Amino acid sequence: MTQRPQQHSFNPYTENGGTILAIAGADFSVIAGDTRQSEGYSIQTRYAPKVFRLTDKAVLAVNGFAADGNMFVKKVRQRLEWYRHAHSKDMPIRAIARLIQTMLYARRFFPYYVYNILGGIEEDGTGAVYSFDPVGSYEREACRAAGAAQSLMQPFLDNQIYFKNQTPAPGTSFPQHLPLNTVLSLVIDSFTGATERHIEVGDSLEMYVVLARESPSIQALQNIVGIQERTSTADGERIFVIRRDLKKD
Amino acid sequence: MSIMEYNGGSVVAMVGKDCVAIASDLRLGNQALGISSNFQKIFPITDRIYLGLPGLATDVTTLRERFRFRVNMYTIKEEREIEPETFAHLVSSTLYEHRFGPYFVEPVMAGLSKTPSGGVKPFIAATDLIGCLNFAKDFVVAGTASSKLYGVAEGLWEPDLEAEDLFETISQTLLNAVDRDAYSGWGCIVHVITKDKVVTRTLKGRMD
Amino acid sequence: MNSFANRFSTNTTQLHSPEEDNFSDATWGSQAGFGNIAMGVPTFSIPDVADPTSFLQLHTDDHADPNCRIKIQHGTTTLAFRFQGGVIVAVDSRATAGSYVASGTVKKVIEINPYLLGTMAGGAADCQYWETYLGMHCRLHELRNRERISVSAASKYLSNLVYSYKGMGLSMGTMICGWDKTGPAVFYVDSDGTRLKGDLFSVGSGSTFAYGVLDQGYRWDLTDAEAQELGRRSIYAAGHRDAFSGNSCNLYHVKEDGWHFIGNYDISKLHYDGPGDVPGAPEGGYGYDIRVEGLSSANPPEAAASA
Repeated sequence: MTQRPQQHSFNPYTENGGTILAIAGADFSVIAGDTRQSEGYSIQTRYAPKVFRLTDKAVLAVNGFAADGNMFVKKVRQRLEWYRHAHSKDMPIRAIARLIQTMLYARRFFPYYVYNILGGIEEDGTGAVYSFDPVGSYEREACRAAGAAQSLMQPFLDNQIYFKNQTPAPGTSFPQHLPLNTVLSLVIDSFTGATERHIEVGDSLEMYVVLARESPSIQALQNIVGIQERTSTADGERIFVIRRDLKKD
Repeated sequence: MSIMEYNGGSVVAMVGKDCVAIASDLRLGNQALGISSNFQKIFPITDRIYLGLPGLATDVTTLRERFRFRVNMYTIKEEREIEPETFAHLVSSTLYEHRFGPYFVEPVMAGLSKTPSGGVKPFIAATDLIGCLNFAKDFVVAGTASSKLYGVAEGLWEPDLEAEDLFETISQTLLNAVDRDAYSGWGCIVHVITKDKVVTRTLKGRMD
Repeated sequence: MNSFANRFSTNTTQLHSPEEDNFSDATWGSQAGFGNIAMGVPTFSIPDVADPTSFLQLHTDDHADPNCRIKIQHGTTTLAFRFQGGVIVAVDSRATAGSYVASGTVKKVIEINPYLLGTMAGGAADCQYWETYLGMHCRLHELRNRERISVSAASKYLSNLVYSYKGMGLSMGTMICGWDKTGPAVFYVDSDGTRLKGDLFSVGSGSTFAYGVLDQGYRWDLTDAEAQELGRRSIYAAGHRDAFSGNSCNLYHVKEDGWHFIGNYDISKLHYDGPGDVPGAPEGGYGYDIRVEGLSSANPPEAAASA
C-alpha cells in the first residue's frame, strides 16, 4: 500500500444553524432567536438560547458557531461588569456596540465565527439595533435578521417594516414606527415562515422585549401569555422574555 | 463561482382561486456586469401554460426552442393541446436525457388544467436541473434569489387569492426578494393566467 | 511575515495580554477597545498553526472560495476627486456577502474628524477599525503639535500601519480626503501598502463604471454644483451596472472649513426621476430607457405609432 502525503488541517469552526432577528421601535426593541442548535442534518439540542440579556437596556443575540457565540457573550459580560465596577453605572448601548467592534477585531486573524445583533434602548430613549459582521464592522439599523434563514426573513421584513416596493394610498403615508404588537406578530410570522422552509430553524422561539422608561408600549404586553420579566435595576427600562413553540420537524 | 449564478435571474409561480401567476425578473448579466434589462425568461407554451426558465442564459434559449419543437410534435400527433401535468413530465424527461451533462436551468411551470366538468384547476410545478418534479400546492421558486423568494412567499401567500390579489402578492414577493439578491432584478414581469385571459404586466423595479 | 505574527501572538511572554491578567488595565475601562495608544498598536491573537495567513484565507477569503464559512461583508463603489472648489467624495451603500445583499444602508464614508474623510472599500471591518484608529492619532497629532494634521501625514500614518500587516489578509482600499495648508488633497491608500497622491480615484468592484463617467466629465474648474452632479452621476452608473453596488449614493463635499454632507440619493430613484431639485442636476431620470423615451425606434413617440 503506497503512502500518500497526508495533509492535516486545523478546522476549528462548525455551523450550528439557527436564526436571530432584532427590530427597533420608537421606544422599544425586540430581539428574537430560535432555540434549535444543529450540526449538519442532526439536531444537537432543541433548547440552546442564542439571545442573552447584558444589561437592562441591552440584549445581545449571537449566531453562527455556538461555541464562539457563547464564549463571546461571556467575554462581553465580563467587560461590562468591569465597566460597572469602574464607573458605577451600566455601559450605554452605543458604547457596548463600539466595545463589541474592538473585541471582534482583536481576533481579526482568527475570527470569532459569530454574527452578533445588539438590541436595546439608547441613552435618548429610542430603540436601537446594531448588527455586526464576524470581524467587527457594525452599523445601527432599524431591523436586521442574521443566521441560516436570514435571506428568507430579511426581504419579508423589508416589505413589512420599511414598506419597500409599496406605495401608500394617495393622501396617506406609511407610519415611521410600528406599534409593539404589530412588531411581535411580524417576528412570530417571520420565524414560522423560516421554520417551514429551512431545516435548521425550529423547535422554539425566544423573544426579548426591551422597553424605554415609561414607554406606553407596556399596554401591548399586558395580555401576552407566558411573558416573564427580567428587569433587575430600578432605572426605568424594563426587559421581558416571551417564549413560543415552533415546529419541531 | 457557480454556473447557476453566471447570468443570474429568478422565477416564482403561485396558485390562486381558479388562477395562477408566474413572474420573473428581467436581468441578464455576466457575473457582476449587468448586460440586459430586457431578457425574457418566461415563455408561453400554450394559451394556458407558461414556462419560466431561470439559470444559464444559453440553456434558457436552447430549451425554449427544444420545448417548442416537442410541444408542436405532441400537438400534431395527439391533435389536441398539451395539458399542464403532461407538459411537466415532458420537461422532466427532457432534462433527464442529459442526466450526466445537464442543462443549467431550473424550470418553473404554471398553468390551468381542464377538469371533466369544463372548469379549470390551477397547476404549478418546478423541477431541478436534472428533472426531479415538485408538484407544490402553494408556490414554487427558482433561481439565484430562491431562498429570498421562499422567505417572502411563505410570509405573504395565503390560499384562494383572487386574480388581482394574487397579482399583488406575487409582485411583492418578487420585488422584495430580488432587491436582496445581487444577481436578480433590473425590472420584473408578471403573467396572471385565468380561464379567459392572460394579463401580463411589467413592474417598475429597482434598477441597481 | 510570520515574524509579525509572532510579535502579535498571544503565545509570547513579552507582550502584555489583557485577557490573562486579573487586574489588567482593561478592567478599568479606559483601556477598552483601542486600548492605550502609548503602548503601541493593539494586540491580535493568531491561531497556533504553521501558516496563519493561509488559515485565514481558507476560512474567510471569498474570492478564492465563495463557499467559505465566514463571509466578511465587502464594500464596493467609492470615488473621490479634487477640483478648484475642494474635494467631492461619493460612495454607494450596498454590502454583499456572496450574492446576498446584506445591507443597503452601509456608511462607506468614515468621518475621521471634521475636516478629514476616509472611504470604505474592501473589508468593511478593516476600514472602519483602522480609520477610527487613524482618527485617534490625528487628534493626538493636534494635541502634540498644536496644528491640524496634513492629509499627507494622515494617509502616510494609515499606509505604514497597514503595511506592517502586509500579507496577513487585510483587505482595504481607501481614499483619505481633506483640505490642508497645501489645498484640497486626495490620497489613495490600500492594504498592499500602496499610497498615491492624485486628483481623481475610484475604488471597488464598480470603479470601472464610475471611471467611465468621471473621466469624461472631469475638469479642474468645475463649479461646486457641476462637481457634485458628476460625483452623483458616476455612482449612479456604477450602481446601475455593477451587481455589487447600488442602493443609495452618499455625497460629501470637503471645503476649506471642513466636510459637508450634501445628501443621500436612492440610486433607483435617480434612474427614474433624477436627483430632484438640486443645483446642477438635469431634469428627469438618469436611466437610459427613461432618457430615450420616444426618441428611438425601439420606443417611438406616440404620434408616430398612431400614424
